[in-house]
Amino acid sequence: MDPKLTEVSQQFERFKAAFIRNDFDTCERLLSQLKVSLTQFRSLPPLFVDTPNATHELTLARDIYEHAVVLSVKIEDQEAFERDFFQLKPYYTDARGRLPPSAQEYPILGLNLLRLLVQNRIAEFHTELELLSATALENLCIKHAVELEQSFMEGAYNRVLSARQTVPHETYVYFMDLLAKTVRDEIAGCSEKAYDSLSINDARRILLFPSDQELFEYIKEDHPEWEIKNGYVIFQRAKESAPCKEIPSLQLINQTLSYARELERIV
Amino acid sequence: MTQDVEMKEQQAAPSNSVTSTGPSTLQQLKEIASLIETGAYAREVRRIVRAIRLTIALRRKLKASVLHWFLNFALVPGSEAHSRLLSYLPKEDELDMEVDTATSATPAPVKHSLPEFEIYCYLLVLIFLIDQKRYNEAKACSSASIARLKNVNRRTVDVLAARLYFYYSLSYELTGDLAEIRGNLLALHRIATLRRDELGQETLLNLLLRNYLHYNLFDQAEKLRSKAPRFEAHSNQQFCRYLFYLGKIRTIQLEYTDAKESLLQAARKAPVAALGFRVQCNKWAVIVRLLLGEIPERTVFMQKGMEKALRPYFELTNAVRVGDLELFKAVAEKFSTTFSSDGTQNLIVRLRHNVIRTGLRNISISYSRISLTDVAKKLRLDSENPVADAESIVAKAIRDGAIDATLDHASGWMVSKETGDIYSTNEPQIAFNSRIAFCLNMHNEAVRALRFPPNSDKEKESAEKRRERQQQEQELAKHIAEEDDDEF
Repeated sequence: MDPKLTEVSQQFERFKAAFIRNDFDTCERLLSQLKVSLTQFRSLPPLFVDTPNATHELTLARDIYEHAVVLSVKIEDQEAFERDFFQLKPYYTDARGRLPPSAQEYPILGLNLLRLLVQNRIAEFHTELELLSATALENLCIKHAVELEQSFMEGAYNRVLSARQTVPHETYVYFMDLLAKTVRDEIAGCSEKAYDSLSINDARRILLFPSDQELFEYIKEDHPEWEIKNGYVIFQRAKESAPCKEIPSLQLINQTLSYARELERIV
Repeated sequence: MTQDVEMKEQQAAPSNSVTSTGPSTLQQLKEIASLIETGAYAREVRRIVRAIRLTIALRRKLKASVLHWFLNFALVPGSEAHSRLLSYLPKEDELDMEVDTATSATPAPVKHSLPEFEIYCYLLVLIFLIDQKRYNEAKACSSASIARLKNVNRRTVDVLAARLYFYYSLSYELTGDLAEIRGNLLALHRIATLRRDELGQETLLNLLLRNYLHYNLFDQAEKLRSKAPRFEAHSNQQFCRYLFYLGKIRTIQLEYTDAKESLLQAARKAPVAALGFRVQCNKWAVIVRLLLGEIPERTVFMQKGMEKALRPYFELTNAVRVGDLELFKAVAEKFSTTFSSDGTQNLIVRLRHNVIRTGLRNISISYSRISLTDVAKKLRLDSENPVADAESIVAKAIRDGAIDATLDHASGWMVSKETGDIYSTNEPQIAFNSRIAFCLNMHNEAVRALRFPPNSDKEKESAEKRRERQQQEQELAKHIAEEDDDEF
């Protein structure tokens, strides 16, 4: 076997050992070394040179990036997640014909969907969704994310929150917690428009706070314009578009003059 | 998808009436050849465009024998292109006798071989191979032609090249190897950009978009589209396609308002005969309008020749219009194969919340006050806690401006507000203005698009008259310049 490949595999074994020990600092250090060594293989994307060890190298590289993605979730680094995921993606799409499918594929794709949902990047969420086949959509991990998005769009926030109990994979919990925060902001935004006022008790329950104290802090920090009076939270209603009282004369004159000029050109 | 082919053929229709009654295919080909020749010498791209139009009209009549004769006529025998192209055609002794008479009348071959002729021959053979369903040979032929094209840099070839690109991509699509040529198309697009070949750029951009969308690579398609240079459209067909692809991308990325505009424009601009294309546009437009919360009119589904194809979408619209979740689910299930073959399955999943919205809007219009329990019942929300769900759904609908109402949490009901008088705002004025601007702009574009043949009468114009006219023109120009100065 190629000595370079053996070396990388050994290093990867060390990485995996550290990964199981939850020694994330060592993991990160090893990972950056691994990524540098991977650049020496010409069989990896984007070159796809057909070397004798191509399949082996591709599988190894894919495995490394899969671990990198999971690691980024564990150290709660969303930017690293995005980077690693994009490095991993060609192995799922462009290298599909060269490799046996990975068992990790769907959980990681689902994880990425969830991340896009948390970051409220719905357009990208749907773009990713279009790339998935019908069988992928049936997968539990993907389905979970898709259903979340639907409930989120509808406004059925209870369903979003209860979905935390049914996560298909342990790594999902981190994003589900983040999602809960996004959901709270959404609910706050909706309540503001939908209610004139709410009793403090109701507001706490609707906004999912365990105690009044936290509710008050949240209001102070994120929504200082809300008023708390006699045990009620009073929302400031947005000013409605007032009926126009005066004629916007200057604008009208401009428009009429431009019509006249255009018409003159026609006649 | 066959709509591309249909669109091509339609283009030929107007000229068809002129040529089909006329002489034999051979003679027509000869006329086309002379058109190309004069076009090439006079550098008149317009003539070459006409030649292509006439060719497409001949498409059905192309036979191996005719092609054989034409290749001998147009190309220098023994040249590389000549022998290569001949190898794609059946051997001479297999030809029908009928043509032999024509062959005997072969005129002396043209001595000088124009690159236009060579490229044109490639195009003819390629069309012939595709029509004969010999796709693998078509692939080989088109690849050879593309390799040759890269070395030809003449503006008069650009028009022919644009067509070749199209058939190049089509032949690969028919064998399902579209991904293979993506790199090549990108390189060609780059070359076309460097040569300022706008028609080529337009065609290649569309082919690339089609290539990406074929594999659902919306992200890449959008990145390419937004970075590729844009200019006024040269060909209506290409522009229609561009709009259609743009509409699709925008739909996926949830920019429904823009998507609707592109799709409707594409459907309207497409030639009447391009039925397949228009049906596709209409399908997507219907879904986008539904996603926007609009209900398409019944006439959309009753357009001639489209009733059957649009039937599933009609039933879907009906379900959304009524706001009935159960009916919606039933329709989505019933036509799921149609929807997934149209690539709209995921969009239909998105529609679910529009169904709820419409239902909610109906409720809000009919009741001034209704309890949330009843709302949940009417919307047929099936979850463990329908009232809480209903409450948050209503709250979101209020925030998104779908309904105008307030919630009373303590008593658990929803109070609808009176609808305001829109005519007391500036809204109608703005809408009126944008429509006038649209019409005026349309007129200006139409005027700009007019083309006048070089007028021979002007030669005879007397000196006095010319002076008079020039004076008038000068006055007009001065007038316009002054007007421009007046502008703010």
